[in-house]
Amino acid sequence: MAETLRIGVAVKHGVDVTLTRADRATGRVDLAGAPRKTSDFDKNAVEEAVRLREKHGGTVTAITVGGPAAREALREALAIGADEAVLVTAESWSTWDTRAVARLLAGAYRTLGGFDLFLVGEGSTDHFGGLVGPRMAGELGIAEVASVRKVTIEGRAVLAEKDLEKEVEVVRAKFPVVLTVGQEINTPRLPTFMANLKASKKEAKVLAPPDVGLAPDSLAPVVVVEKVAVPEIPRKQVALAGASAEEIAKGLREALRAEGLVP
Amino acid sequence: MSPERIVAVSEEPALLPDLVRVGRSVGADPSDRVVAVLLPGVPGDAADRARAAGAHEVHRLVAPASTDPHVLTSALEEVVRTLAPTLILVGSTKRGRELAGRLAGRLDLPAASGVTALRTEGGALLLDREALSGNAVATERIERRPAVLALLPGTTAPSPSVAPPGPAEDRTVAPVPPLTETVEVRAKAGGQLEIEKADRIVTIGRGLRKKEDLPLIEALARALGAEVGCTRPLAADAGWLSDDHWIGLTGHRVHPKLYVAVGVSGAVQHQVGMRSAQVVVAVNKDPNAPIFAQADYRIVGDLYQIVPALTKVFST
Repeated sequence: MAETLRIGVAVKHGVDVTLTRADRATGRVDLAGAPRKTSDFDKNAVEEAVRLREKHGGTVTAITVGGPAAREALREALAIGADEAVLVTAESWSTWDTRAVARLLAGAYRTLGGFDLFLVGEGSTDHFGGLVGPRMAGELGIAEVASVRKVTIEGRAVLAEKDLEKEVEVVRAKFPVVLTVGQEINTPRLPTFMANLKASKKEAKVLAPPDVGLAPDSLAPVVVVEKVAVPEIPRKQVALAGASAEEIAKGLREALRAEGLVP
Repeated sequence: MSPERIVAVSEEPALLPDLVRVGRSVGADPSDRVVAVLLPGVPGDAADRARAAGAHEVHRLVAPASTDPHVLTSALEEVVRTLAPTLILVGSTKRGRELAGRLAGRLDLPAASGVTALRTEGGALLLDREALSGNAVATERIERRPAVLALLPGTTAPSPSVAPPGPAEDRTVAPVPPLTETVEVRAKAGGQLEIEKADRIVTIGRGLRKKEDLPLIEALARALGAEVGCTRPLAADAGWLSDDHWIGLTGHRVHPKLYVAVGVSGAVQHQVGMRSAQVVVAVNKDPNAPIFAQADYRIVGDLYQIVPALTKVFST
């Protein structure tokens, strides 16, 4: 008898980059008060997990590491089609760095009994470090395939297309395996009204660091953010207008001549 | 302060000399050492180039070549055990970030990727890295060592120093069984254009209605002596242009003298790819398009009227 497929997927409730504003005077960005949303690639990860379950059966468990508001990321994952949701949280969550997040995910992986496949966004929209998935796999000592843009299941293994800068590497990895996925793998579905309603009624399981085998003081950050600032690039902001397209074009030619860019 | 012992890893051999140079400037004290580590299968001339860049030592790892992350990180774990580095540098490529993350997870080390500047302060590392999808810079401090850092090409560091020649040493690595198996490697379609080196770029976005209209943009690029760039939807979703034209966070970062964005709305993920352009021209029919905030010259209008006029004016 075939074993039931167990799929885990990590989702991050990160800073909404499109709504983040820098202080005009200092150029600094206050991340603590910034609006948050589910990280883009993580929705691709949830969508892919749900598609694999739709095809092969099994369960999808969405896990987030963060504060109380991170329940929103879990609700979105449930609305896309995840079966279970797990929030790993503690009061010190906002100090957690990539290491702490990867350790907590690895701890949750163990506590929940392991997974055949564990999907993670290739990078988060806000941080885009690309470290959490491989770091978690390293912690667990299991296989990983990063930057996956296509995945198929063959028995108790995956065949994954790894999208590198200049080539595509097709990799076979036996379960268990961590996959990091990018935007190219799929287009996440827009949940129906009913799916959203159902998702908002489902309770997430809540785990504290000790529940996943980690003492809270072992999660103190080793990479400390001192500041986040937006580099100022002054632009001239000259509006070119004219009675006709040709007049506008000539205006641009004059401007680029003055810049020394065209003869 | 104890001396720095910096290991530069050749995950991407072309980046190794840069890593060595950054290592030499971070470890600028005479007691500091920079060791270039060549992964199994890396061509031998990488050793010469690492030495020319200033490596005190070059270690070639001797084992069957592999791209399996477990095999590579296991070899690097052995390097960490035997060389006891204070800092491990890799290139911030896709594979480099993967190795940095996995190695950091194996040995519980501090790690950061997308690093653009690196310096020391006392015994601590201070680094700048891209944040908020590349539109901001985060300054981060690492006290605990060793640390693993993935550096972007062009990472700056203070006072690069001159190189002494050093010997190359072969180091046999105990083999470990791979966890993944490579079934096939295929080159990406296109892939010939090196758009990050282009001086002038005309980039087309979703304002283009159909693939058949691309010659309109190509004609303007020819008139300006420019390469054609594109946004994510045109490369990754529609496939109208190959990935080597794609400018943005997950595409290419470009630094041209002239950047003409046509029908490009200017999502933050696109802006990170073009923000270091010297002069930016934007053509868009939506006066509120975010790209205009990044523009030196703004043209509000229909690209199907503006582009032919530009082509005509710049062709004469």
